[in-house]
Amino acid sequence: MDQSGAARAAMEEQDVVVMRGITKIYANGIVANKDVDFSVRKGEIHALMGENGAGKSTLMKMLFGMEQPTSGEILVDGRQIALTSPNVAIAHGIGMVHQHFMLVPSLTVAENIVLGIAPRKGGVFVDMQKALSLTRKYAQEFNFNVDPNAKVMDIPVGMKQKVEILKALVRGAKILILDEPTAVLTTQETTELFRELINLKKQGYTIIFISHKLREIMQITDRLTILRGGRSMGVYNTREVTEQEISRLMVGRDVVLSVQKEPAKPTQTVLSVRGLSYTNDWNRKMLDGVSFSVRKGEILGVAGVEGNGQRELVDILFGLGRRPDTGEITVNGKPIVGLGQDKLRAMGISLVPEDRMIYGIAANATIEENVTSDRVQKKEFNHGPLFNMKALHKESDRLIEEFQVLCSSRAQKVGMLSGGNIQKVVVAREFSSNPTLIIADQPTRGIDVGATEFIRKELVRLSRAGAAVLLVSADLNEVMELSDSLIILHNGKIAAYFEDTSVLTDEIMGEYMLGLKKQDDAQIGRVCHE
Amino acid sequence: MNNRRRMTLFNLIRGCAAILMALLVAAILIFISCDEPWLALRYLILSPVLDFKETISFNAMSLYTIFGNMIPIMFTGLGVCVMFSANEFNCGGEGCVMVGAFVASLCAIYIPMPGFLHPLFCVLVAMLVCGAIMLIPALLKVKLGASEMVCTLMLNYVLLYIVKHFLTNVFADRSRGQTQTLRFLDTAQIPSIVVRAKLTWGFFIAIACAALIWLFMYRTRWGYTIRMLGVNKLFSGYSGLKVGGTVVLAQVVGGMLSGMGGSIEMLGRYTSFKWNSLPGYGWDGMTVAILAKNNPAFVPLAAFFIAYLDRGCQLMATYCDISSNMIDIIQAVIFLFFAAEQFLAGYRQKLVVKGAREELLAAEGGARA
Amino acid sequence: MSDFLSMLWQTAFFFSILRITAPILFAALGAVVSEKAGCSNIGLEGIMMISALFGALSSYWTQSWLVGVLAAMLVGALVGFMIGFFALKLKTDIILAGIAVNMIGDGGTQFLLYLFTGMSGNTSGLTTAKMLIPTVKIPLLDKIPVLGEIFSGHAVLTYVAFLMVLLLWIMLQKTPLGLNIRAVGENPNAASSVGVSVLRYKYIALSMGGALAGLGGAFMSMYYSQSWNVNMVAGRGFIALAAEAMGNHTPLGAMLSSMLFGLAQAVSIKVAGLPGFSSDLVSAIPYAITILGLAIYAAMRISRAKSVHRIRVPKAMR
Repeated sequence: MDQSGAARAAMEEQDVVVMRGITKIYANGIVANKDVDFSVRKGEIHALMGENGAGKSTLMKMLFGMEQPTSGEILVDGRQIALTSPNVAIAHGIGMVHQHFMLVPSLTVAENIVLGIAPRKGGVFVDMQKALSLTRKYAQEFNFNVDPNAKVMDIPVGMKQKVEILKALVRGAKILILDEPTAVLTTQETTELFRELINLKKQGYTIIFISHKLREIMQITDRLTILRGGRSMGVYNTREVTEQEISRLMVGRDVVLSVQKEPAKPTQTVLSVRGLSYTNDWNRKMLDGVSFSVRKGEILGVAGVEGNGQRELVDILFGLGRRPDTGEITVNGKPIVGLGQDKLRAMGISLVPEDRMIYGIAANATIEENVTSDRVQKKEFNHGPLFNMKALHKESDRLIEEFQVLCSSRAQKVGMLSGGNIQKVVVAREFSSNPTLIIADQPTRGIDVGATEFIRKELVRLSRAGAAVLLVSADLNEVMELSDSLIILHNGKIAAYFEDTSVLTDEIMGEYMLGLKKQDDAQIGRVCHE
Repeated sequence: MNNRRRMTLFNLIRGCAAILMALLVAAILIFISCDEPWLALRYLILSPVLDFKETISFNAMSLYTIFGNMIPIMFTGLGVCVMFSANEFNCGGEGCVMVGAFVASLCAIYIPMPGFLHPLFCVLVAMLVCGAIMLIPALLKVKLGASEMVCTLMLNYVLLYIVKHFLTNVFADRSRGQTQTLRFLDTAQIPSIVVRAKLTWGFFIAIACAALIWLFMYRTRWGYTIRMLGVNKLFSGYSGLKVGGTVVLAQVVGGMLSGMGGSIEMLGRYTSFKWNSLPGYGWDGMTVAILAKNNPAFVPLAAFFIAYLDRGCQLMATYCDISSNMIDIIQAVIFLFFAAEQFLAGYRQKLVVKGAREELLAAEGGARA
Repeated sequence: MSDFLSMLWQTAFFFSILRITAPILFAALGAVVSEKAGCSNIGLEGIMMISALFGALSSYWTQSWLVGVLAAMLVGALVGFMIGFFALKLKTDIILAGIAVNMIGDGGTQFLLYLFTGMSGNTSGLTTAKMLIPTVKIPLLDKIPVLGEIFSGHAVLTYVAFLMVLLLWIMLQKTPLGLNIRAVGENPNAASSVGVSVLRYKYIALSMGGALAGLGGAFMSMYYSQSWNVNMVAGRGFIALAAEAMGNHTPLGAMLSSMLFGLAQAVSIKVAGLPGFSSDLVSAIPYAITILGLAIYAAMRISRAKSVHRIRVPKAMR
């Protein structure tokens, strides 16, 4: 015991960052980290892995001073410090490259790099020569290929990321946190980034690399820490673990809420998607030839790590601001691309949107106004020009009761409700319109257990009553328990189709979700039911 | 006491505090500028309804005058309510009042009609013309994304000069010294209730209109759509509500109401058209709408408040040495504080925390029992 | 028609364009600064009125035009700061805060005028030569025939207005202050992530915008109409907003569109004096042109966005 203790102490000496017993509870009661230990050695590339919601971002935000831990201590270079703001973190040599770039588009690369610390000339002017030479100096030193005079809005994403890294380096960062740096990059840009990161490592910099892409992790990191459900699943030397082991540690279910459901008896095809492709504004192909069908009476799950095309798929299906490059989408045989939401709803399509506060509700309106927004135009709720208030009240009271929305009255503002009850309001509207096709996008994210169970049961009930359900979820438990069959999206393509979810295990799921395996086209093609 | 009632109470307190702030500013200005500040304050605050000649008595005539002055700003206030509810910052009320009044005047002079129908017809034409004018900013907004606010601010001037052009060059009554039209036909006049106070039946039309617009906003699918658009535009689209059409609808209805206000004001309280500049009712309407929190039901109350203060300022100007334009400063201060979300936010936070604590205690007590 | 054209083709006409443009330009530059920091200041009209009044009064009290101009600037900056206080601190919608300032500019100024002087409507009774902004003849330029007549002999502030375009451009592009203002307006998260205080620079930009509009106000009351009058600004603050938008939020663009409106107004003033033209209809022209310009600008922006989209995602458009 003594020996291992001494060894541990010796180890800790090389650790530039030690986070011990970190627990973070947000003001709304969500526990993001539970007693997490995390340490990084000088000069290593250390991966922080985990599914969405595993607590990676929160942990790193605390290290960068954007959040404060509820309990636990943080040591940098062996000294305990209170990271109260990003400025403190920067002063201690910690820099962070956020997933959403913190750059000013109309400023040049050099101007962005010196923003806030601009060298002066004659007291009032920015010393552009100095800014340029500073940028060039750092870019050369680290072998970064950036044009200091270019405006940030004109440069490709890969270069923007380099600017972000340079920004941190210029401010004296020795420890770099990169939040999913490859999520927005093309393959070539990723290769280039890795070359540069390895170069930085050689010069003694420490890099913390947040990702859930296995291949990249195996390729570039020295050690890795895995988080799951806010807890640490251990620290490993990258060389000593297999991809399968990582996948098993990362992807797994903690609490199993089982939902009773009879076997599905699917009949005719309701939603048919064929050859759907979509390129986003940054020229990245988010959907690539996706084809599948959802039949009446079944729940088709769409699993996958977030950012693999799920959001784009849902937006396109419901016409929310995106249009496909190519591909056909039909519902009950009628094409729906380009239709307005009123038409889609008239066809019996409903959507539980991913972010309920953006699309799902009008927070400053009453429950009644929210729960009936899709049907106020209907005859049964109008007497000539006027609303039939009795019918509207009756409808909202019915929905509030049926969907167990906890509130003081139908006239309460939706924004005052808890997350779970807000979601119930959304679901009450979307599930009660007699839908033929329900698209449920992360229907139970961030809500309490009771509401979660309720919503899941409702989804099953509706599908058994004859609705076609497309369930998009990053919650493995949800997608495996609820779906009759499921597809896995990886990199904008369908990586696998499982006709029967009851035979699936977490390990199998993990391997497909993380891109270790891919089924052949014949197997995937069966999801079209042709 | 639950949190909803608490918030209602808080909003009430905050509203009163905003008004108090405005009166405080007024009082400070009065004390700076006047030798007899207490007398001036009495004129401002009490004289609109009380008479101080020998004994203190209720001044009904002054109250009727206030009612009369409420008429145009109730209409413009309602119009602004509709437009602001949809988050459309349309400032065209001013121009619409002008055009509405002018168009109604022309109908009142040149198109003879039987008594009852005539004013109705004039007002209707004014409404249609103003509704059509508001299509310009609305369509520019929907089709091109041009700012409705800048557009309507410019439009006000364009409308003013067009009206002035027709007034001076085409329809002027050359026999008079001042630039004005011929007299309205008697059939077109909106009858008065109290002649000396210039209180016309327009007052009741305005009250009825407030009720109707309330019904429109809270009891019809169109009003519902307008309100939802203002709360969350993305939600409206996602719910299948017509976004573009509703933006147009809100501005057209707003324009029609302002036109109605202008025409009823003109036919009720003037005998010929002689406005030479924008009358300012559009801006007053904005204050009214802000005070009413965009709820048509509160518009009469808000309009009464503004008309009351205006009357107070007039009296003060008449009897003390203070300019009646002080009303604009009072209005601006009310405007600023009434719309300030964070005004007294600390107090609100305390209330919310207190409420949450009470609820927690109640829940624990219930559990124990 | 040719008579009309030849009447416009005179140096005096071009001279008048510059004179008319100056106050709009000041306000448009004020709009540029505020907009760069992400604040839409629609209170410029009111600020111009208020500053115009204080400029005239201060110059009367001190009998110095310079003090008047400085006072107008200061008052403009203060009102800009006040808009910031309500919009940033108390979270009043910045548009409503602007409308409130315009109310003060409209009636409040008349109240203040009466309060300070006991006069109503205008200050023309106070005006003395010392209070007016002087004109300057530019030494060498003055001698050149056509150019001299157009460009020399303007009021000091006219030159200042056009100089401001350059100064503002330098400030925005070449100084840390400008970088910070632009960063705050474009990406507040980026600014605060490197320790640039978002609130601070918004306050600074609103105050600077107010000061610029204040100069415009001083120009109006202390040179253009030689005294302060009710409604004297007549929508120039609003036209400036349109000029700012059409000028693509840059000082130079704002200058060009301000000059377009200046031209429209100069033409309308010329034409108004001719027999057969309705002076009222002609007065409407600058405002109508502003609406038209706004619409054309918006349409151009849309078609530009579309063409960019077409290059990026060719298939989606087919």
